[in-house]
Amino acid sequence: MRRAARRAGLVAAALVPVVFSGCGRRTVTAGPSNDLLIVGYDREPDTLNRFSTHILEDIQTCVVEGLTTTDEQMRVVPLLAIDVPTIKNGDVRLRSDGGMDVVWRLRPGVTWHDGTPFTSSDVQFTVDAINGPSYNPESTDGFDRIASVDTPDPLTAVVHYKEIYAPYDIQFIRGALPKHILQGRDIDRAQDYNRNPLGTGPYHVLEWKSGEYILLERTAHYWRGDAYPRIRRLLFKFVPNTNTRINQLKAGEVHVVALAPWDKYREMAAIPSIVVGRTRGNAYEHITLNERQFVPFADVRVRRALISALDRELYTRTILDGLAPVADGPIQPVSWAYNDRITRYPFDPLKARALLDEAGWKAGADGIRMREGKRLAFTLITQAGYAIRESMAQAIERQLRDVGVDVKVELHDGTAISSIWFEGRFDAMLHWWQMPSDPELTTFFAADRTPPAGRNINYFHDEELTRLLYASDRTVDRAERKALLARAQAIIADAVPEIPLYSVTRLDAVPATLLNFKGNPTNTGIFWNVHEWEIK
Amino acid sequence: MVRFVARRCLQAVPVLVIVSALVFLLIHAAPGGPLAVYLANPNVRPQDIERLRRALGLDRPIWQQYWTWLWAFARGDWGYSFSDGRPVAARILERLPATLELIGASLACAIVLTLPAGIVAAMRRGGWFDRLMTIGAMAGISLPGFWFGLLLQMIFAVGLGWLPSSGRATPGGGDVVDHLQHLVLPTTVLAIVLASGWSRYLRGAMLETLSLPFIVSARARGLPARRVVLRHALRHALGPLLAVVTVDAALLVSGAVVTESVFAWPGLGSLFTEAIARRDYTVLMALLMLSGSAVIVFNIVADFAHAAIDPRIATT
Repeated sequence: MRRAARRAGLVAAALVPVVFSGCGRRTVTAGPSNDLLIVGYDREPDTLNRFSTHILEDIQTCVVEGLTTTDEQMRVVPLLAIDVPTIKNGDVRLRSDGGMDVVWRLRPGVTWHDGTPFTSSDVQFTVDAINGPSYNPESTDGFDRIASVDTPDPLTAVVHYKEIYAPYDIQFIRGALPKHILQGRDIDRAQDYNRNPLGTGPYHVLEWKSGEYILLERTAHYWRGDAYPRIRRLLFKFVPNTNTRINQLKAGEVHVVALAPWDKYREMAAIPSIVVGRTRGNAYEHITLNERQFVPFADVRVRRALISALDRELYTRTILDGLAPVADGPIQPVSWAYNDRITRYPFDPLKARALLDEAGWKAGADGIRMREGKRLAFTLITQAGYAIRESMAQAIERQLRDVGVDVKVELHDGTAISSIWFEGRFDAMLHWWQMPSDPELTTFFAADRTPPAGRNINYFHDEELTRLLYASDRTVDRAERKALLARAQAIIADAVPEIPLYSVTRLDAVPATLLNFKGNPTNTGIFWNVHEWEIK
Repeated sequence: MVRFVARRCLQAVPVLVIVSALVFLLIHAAPGGPLAVYLANPNVRPQDIERLRRALGLDRPIWQQYWTWLWAFARGDWGYSFSDGRPVAARILERLPATLELIGASLACAIVLTLPAGIVAAMRRGGWFDRLMTIGAMAGISLPGFWFGLLLQMIFAVGLGWLPSSGRATPGGGDVVDHLQHLVLPTTVLAIVLASGWSRYLRGAMLETLSLPFIVSARARGLPARRVVLRHALRHALGPLLAVVTVDAALLVSGAVVTESVFAWPGLGSLFTEAIARRDYTVLMALLMLSGSAVIVFNIVADFAHAAIDPRIATT
């Protein structure tokens, strides 16, 4: 036994120098190059099928292209279509029966990665599969308004909508399913496709090592020309722990960290080889005020008092380190529908107190306001594990107490909080909505879209707003729609159904040597133009 | 011996069934569910949620869901993952090697650290080594695993650049040395945490044993001190330690959750974390049953090991 122990000791002693070979810095990980770019990614995708996933589609975007995409200014631009259909170019036609037809003209010469031509029958198959009974995509929104798709020729798909559908231009932003691969199959169980989708994009999946990484490799004969993409391989490493991801960035083990947390901004900005891209986002952090659960929120004077009691400029300067501007409503400046001529609420605690007095809420013995024997006290829930959100909740709690409102902060894990808000079992909630690139607000504010019918979790009810929002959803003309949405934003700003806090700025750490990085404010993600990325 | 194993396995069946029912109820009682992850997407509407609920079989009464799961599980069909639609068994099998590798390395290192630390501390009770080990063990037990892991990353990966900060191997391959380099930091964290507790158990057991009459007698017969300690006292003191080691090892089978998360180690621990976050019931159930089975199997192994050390314990 002693001899065995001695042998084991010798083996261990021999291994130490091997493991720490050279005692110098490791050279295994090379810097970013046009051969390999490594992305530190916060989670492993569930599937690479863009229609099935409920996770951001950064990886999928590199493989499967849409008919359109959104650019760095959130404009809808053509990708596999030669143009975005509009009324002006004659490719959107409103029918007299209340429906509409949209003509998609496909880019010639595009092939799937296996060489099969990409045609309008793939578009038709996609609609049929999503609306069919045997496939369970994440959402059928928009597709279920399509009556049929005609394919007069391989490069033209005519989509017949049962009703007017304003966001038609992003209907196929997730691309199309390859008919020749998936026809007649159970797509939910088609693991060959779901793990390694056939696309038309600049990359294809070379290897998916579960729990570790996905490696993409340049596609031969990409439709933009053999000069694209410039970078040969993209490696997405799954590193769920934020601190570890930043450590990997510092150690040079990853070159890109997408959607980096703000509390790590200074740490990342201090890395000499890294540039932190700041993109004005389309999400906004806000406090949802649940009027159904906490009745005092139904009084507009109380809601205006609450927003006036919060020094949102101070929050953005301090907690957010100046990285994000104050938001005044649900549509952000990056959107074409943004209206800046609305009521704003600067920090004014005197006004807040006066409004609460006017609403009948008088200070009690402990400084907390009361009316008819009830205290003005509510619970603010938010997601645990977000340092910035937790700090923000504490600041809100403190400033509302200063005007006599008692707030108790409760933290919940991400999955639990989703079911809590969906069931309306909360008073107030600190969170954000990542808004779609199309400024469709109906699901968030229309009176009949409270859960489960929608996301109006303020349980806010305004007839005029509801009418305007539905009218906007049925208006294709951009100028007309903008006017409708401008009025809707004005009503929301006056009524304060929720308290907007700040507009979310997206942070992405990329190599200082990376050319053509443009960022993206939407869920399309930063890889929308990956084909032109290049390391100088 | 065969009868002993057969009897223990039979006894384990009702235990596992009760455990499965309790766990099934518990994970269904946790707020949120497999569909909660879809709610953040405003394009997912009530009809989508209902469609997905039916597709996953969540629209049926809970007893029916449990019975369907239990019957399939008993026949070796572990079902499909709610999050990615792949067979649960495949998901677990692909992560198992990484976990076994980490457990094996950590247990081996922890035992190597525990034996000298516990024995010498007991023999030199109150001396400088004993005091040093006490301070070291307290620190090891008290250190939060995630913090300790990040600290090691900062020193050895970011600062010195000697070791990779995380992962199991350099993507795209990596030789044996590369694998060993990736193993060092997570193993160090787990081994130090385990050895901190174990060395205290061993020290306590050794102190108790060293005062027993058979040790006094051995010494009186003039046996060398080393032989008295290693051959007689240690053998006697290993029993309690073995019980702790097997319980800890069994719990590690379901994954060293924190360590795997900090080091992006692709084992069952990180799968467990993902499954909890997504409320992936089928994967969670399989992992918890695996963990429950591991506790039972390791206990049987411990009984045999105990019997091997102490012949007074029979396994018939």
